[in-house]
Amino acid sequence: MSSPIRRRRDGRYVVRLDPNARIVLADLARQLPEAIAARDPMVRRLFPPAYPSAELAGAEHDYRELVDTALVNHHTDALQTLVATAQADTLSEPEFQAWMDAVGSLRLVLGTRLDVHEDMEDPDPEDPRSAEYGLFVFLGELQYLMVEVLADDLPDEGRPEGAL
Amino acid sequence: MRERLPGRRRGAGGTEVGVVPPETAPLGDLGTILDPDVTTDKPWLVIVWNDPINLMSFVTYVLQKLFGYSKEKATALMLDVHHKGRAVVSSGTRERAELDVFRLHEHGLWATMEQST
Repeated sequence: MSSPIRRRRDGRYVVRLDPNARIVLADLARQLPEAIAARDPMVRRLFPPAYPSAELAGAEHDYRELVDTALVNHHTDALQTLVATAQADTLSEPEFQAWMDAVGSLRLVLGTRLDVHEDMEDPDPEDPRSAEYGLFVFLGELQYLMVEVLADDLPDEGRPEGAL
Repeated sequence: MRERLPGRRRGAGGTEVGVVPPETAPLGDLGTILDPDVTTDKPWLVIVWNDPINLMSFVTYVLQKLFGYSKEKATALMLDVHHKGRAVVSSGTRERAELDVFRLHEHGLWATMEQST
C-alpha cells in the first residue's frame, strides 16, 4: 500500500488521514500553546538548556533572554497552523513543515509525561496510561511517514555549508 | 568573545622588558581571572544528546537539513548519538554555536554547547 503521505508534483503535500485522527491532532495541538504560554512544567522538554553546566548559569540566563520569545513563537505558530489545517487534504510546504514541528512537539511532551524509554513495551490495556501511549505511538507513526517524504527531498550527498 | 590577550612574554631572557623575570605569569592567564566564562578563542562545540523520544530517522533528517550534511555523515552522527549518548554536530564561534543550538531546539533535539578544552 502506498504511504498516506506524499509530495505531489506541484509541490503540495497530500495527507490522507482518518477523520478521527484529524480531530485528535487538532485537539492535542490546541491545548499545547496555552501550556507553553503558562510555562507549564510539562512543556519543559521543548526548552532545553544551551549551557547546562552550573558555572555557566550567567551565559544560560543571557541565552534564554535572547531566544525564549523566538522559540515560544516558533512552537506556538506551528501548533496553530496544525489546528488551522487539520482538516486539509493537501498542505503547502510551510504548512507541512509546521505539521512536522507540531507533531514533534506533541511527541516530546507526551513522551516526557509517559516517561518513555528505548525498548519500552506497550503498556497493558488496563493501564491508565494506555490511551495516552496509543496517541504517542500514533504521533510517532505520523512523524515517521512525514520524515520519509521530507528526507526524500534532500540530496543524499548534502549541500555546501551556508546554502540554506 | 574575547581575543587572546596580546603581548605575552617575549623570549626567556626578557630581551625587551628585562626587569620581568621569565617565570612571571604570562598575560594570557589574566583572561582566566577576568572572565571565567570565555577565556580563549577555542571553538565552541555543539552537542546533540541521546533522548528516548525522537526517532532516529528524524534526527538524521534534521542534521541533513540544518547543516547540509550528506545522508551518510548525518546517519553516522545520529548513530554516535544513539550508541555513545552524544555527538558533536558542529563547532565554531560562540555566536555560531548559539545559533546552531537554537535551530536544533526549534526541531526538538536535545542540544547543548561547551567550549573545546
